[in-house]
Amino acid sequence: MRKKNQSLVLLMLLSTMASAQTTAPKIKVSGTMGVNYEGYGLNRNPAGWTGFSQRKPWNQVRFNFQPTITTPKWSLPFNFNFATTPTNAFGPFANIGKQNIGQYISNPMNNFAVNPTYKWAEIQLGTQYLNYSNLSTGDIGIFGAGVDLKPGKFRVKFFKGISQQGINFFSGGPNGSYKRKNWMAQLGVEREGKYELSFNFAKGKDDVNSITSPPPGLKAQEGFTLSMVTKINFTKGWYMNVEGAQSLYTKDLAQPLTNLIKSFKPFLEARSSTVKDYAGEGMIGRKSKDFDIGLKVKYLGAGFQTVGYPFLQPDRIDYTVNTRFNAFKNKTNVTASIGQRVNNVSNTSLRAKQFIGNLNWFSQIDDHWSVNINYNNFGFQSNSGINPYGIKNVSNDLGINPTYTWSNEKMIHLLSLSYNYSKYDERDVLTGLITSNNTHTALLTYVPTYLQKDMTPDFTVMYFLNKLPGFKTTLLTLSSGLSMPAAKKKLQLRGQLQYTFSKNNSFTGNNNFIASCSIDCKMNKKLTWTNYLATNYFKYGNEIIPNGANYLESNFRTGLQYRFGK
Amino acid sequence: MKKIFVLAFSLFLLQMSKGQLTINFVMSATPPSAITSWNDKKEVLSLFVSPAQGIQLTYKIKTEIKLSDGTVIGRTDLARAATYTAASTNTVYYAGDVIPLENMIFTGKYKTGLERTGKLLSDNYQLCVSLVRPTDYSPVADEKCRSFYLASLQLPILIKPSNEEVLDAAVANQVIIFRWSPVVPRQTLPVRYRLNVMEVLDHQSAMQAFRSNQPLLSTEIRGTTQYNWQVQGIINCCSTPLPGDTIIVPIQSASPATLAAGSFKKYVWTIQTLDQQGRALGDGNINGDGVSEPAIFYVSKHSK
Repeated sequence: MRKKNQSLVLLMLLSTMASAQTTAPKIKVSGTMGVNYEGYGLNRNPAGWTGFSQRKPWNQVRFNFQPTITTPKWSLPFNFNFATTPTNAFGPFANIGKQNIGQYISNPMNNFAVNPTYKWAEIQLGTQYLNYSNLSTGDIGIFGAGVDLKPGKFRVKFFKGISQQGINFFSGGPNGSYKRKNWMAQLGVEREGKYELSFNFAKGKDDVNSITSPPPGLKAQEGFTLSMVTKINFTKGWYMNVEGAQSLYTKDLAQPLTNLIKSFKPFLEARSSTVKDYAGEGMIGRKSKDFDIGLKVKYLGAGFQTVGYPFLQPDRIDYTVNTRFNAFKNKTNVTASIGQRVNNVSNTSLRAKQFIGNLNWFSQIDDHWSVNINYNNFGFQSNSGINPYGIKNVSNDLGINPTYTWSNEKMIHLLSLSYNYSKYDERDVLTGLITSNNTHTALLTYVPTYLQKDMTPDFTVMYFLNKLPGFKTTLLTLSSGLSMPAAKKKLQLRGQLQYTFSKNNSFTGNNNFIASCSIDCKMNKKLTWTNYLATNYFKYGNEIIPNGANYLESNFRTGLQYRFGK
Repeated sequence: MKKIFVLAFSLFLLQMSKGQLTINFVMSATPPSAITSWNDKKEVLSLFVSPAQGIQLTYKIKTEIKLSDGTVIGRTDLARAATYTAASTNTVYYAGDVIPLENMIFTGKYKTGLERTGKLLSDNYQLCVSLVRPTDYSPVADEKCRSFYLASLQLPILIKPSNEEVLDAAVANQVIIFRWSPVVPRQTLPVRYRLNVMEVLDHQSAMQAFRSNQPLLSTEIRGTTQYNWQVQGIINCCSTPLPGDTIIVPIQSASPATLAAGSFKKYVWTIQTLDQQGRALGDGNINGDGVSEPAIFYVSKHSK
């Protein structure tokens, strides 16, 4: 409570400061700041039953402070976003309780960044998520300092910092990690919209001595990636983007140095656990108002690993052709893509192929009717290896969606039917038997819009049927919503009610009732107060023990958001 | 007669000297294909050297990796290999000692493959180990061989919702179908797939949300690669279009770039693959946490 009061006082103080600043003619302040509280509740019955888990933190307060102060020469954008309760589920911070200041700052849930900019020079301070290119770095946040310089056509970027803190592992506590220091650099030339040539460097190295209790199985690592990016935009909408990269990655810094693998000094000295591989990406195509076409190819060698994209799955090549066109005076719009992804490229006996095909066709037939048809196919197939049959999974989705609109002087009516058939076949690698998982989804939506009133209701009915051998799930959902302004449009109210009946096999049905409402209040031109309340009651039939188990979930959000500037 | 005796005695001594130590080793029949990671896992390989019988003896570990037809594709560089002294008790060596990669010489495509990937090509192999004298490399223990099969493990690939797919809020507020490819090759015991879905807040990047937000859905699935998530209000996206909004019907024809700010919600999802004991599967990937490359999806109903 004390924390919340402090937050409100801080917010009011800052808004006063901001108002004062806006009076100065040459200094402008724009952006936003705010504070949000979210509360979550869960009551499960009977007592002691744990069949449904908490889906949000019980209490969470989030702050954002993102003003940009601009003078004729300088720009000073702040980007502060932070929360009171850590909720990390993956990575080193998972299960962390109390954090020290270093850990709090580098926790990916918090952002503290200031980027003062003078003409073409930007200084980057604090937490930065910098994307240099698709194969060098772009997915990690680093707390540190750097520059982004753009004198004329030249591009010089450098950033150095820490992407993860040293966190000791202990059973039942945080996952833990070594402290990882990173730096990245880019040198290049660019003429915006015309061409770009850049060299990117990304390095990360764990500090072996940063923790006393390393997580089991986790080794201190080191990686260095070098890439070259070329982008050219030709006349008539033609373009070409190419990137080639090489990575050196040491998977265990405790392994001895070796001469058998070529080092890349001074950036990385090879050890016996070092791997070195290549990756490449290329795009060529044409964009225009009514017609796009593009070919994209991406190859990642089996040993390609970069600290800048830690979740990248290597050892694959994929190529896709994408197109989009408008026809019949823009009344028909078609987007389509077709391609293939080959996984385990280096492993000929277990190479897996994935076919990708998508088509979406939208036509506005006349003033009343429109129809959309979409079809998606994903096929995944691998060689058999030591099993009698290879893996083969095929996913097919077909959707048809006609819409009819009509109107009179008082109302516009919209009636939309959406039907989707989804078939998913899985082959058993031992018996060769194929299991089909079929899903039918039908959705009917009716939205009347009153031309002389402010209220907007909507109504939907959904039927969902999922069948696979020995299992059948049916859902029927009725839902209705209403939104309307109030108090001379200072309030915006929205409410929704939803009832779902679901049934698995021959068990008795489950009942689910959801009610939600939101109230957004415009307190003045700059300050908005938002509120959201939702409750979800679910009662099982006899499909689980104890029979009739039920839970009541509630979610409450409230927040103040202040907008700087005029 | 004397010559025959001397010859027989020499042969006896030779046999004795060769058999001064006895070795045995156990090895996983399907170790990880990333040979660089063997050192971390004691269960991959253990070499037992019996105690020396009251003699001072030094030796080196000679290792050969062969294809099933006997072709040697990798062997220890004995000149650089470590020298050990026989102990009076049993000595146990692990992969890092038996296959010290810094002292191994691989040939042809196996050398190239190992340098690039840290893995040997998927195939049937034999690992043969013996002990030799440091001076003339003559054997002091009989050679022992074990066969093993290497298959590069491939984590699931997320199929549906595909990366950057836009889902219609009217359906996605009720149920969302998730599909992914199975882990390759098929494991002896069924694997456990943990499906996680996180909301990406306005100020967050997808990876930031993935690493910091509590999952809205975290459930375990065994034996199949599809899950129908009954959302039960936790997404609650864009329930009613505001006056002035344009309803995109259907939303499938929209791309993320066409969605107006505030008219959609963004989510990131992934599959974590675990073995029967709950240990993360993976084959030398950076994180070693069995997490597949995450994908993003959007839920939207209308744009401005």
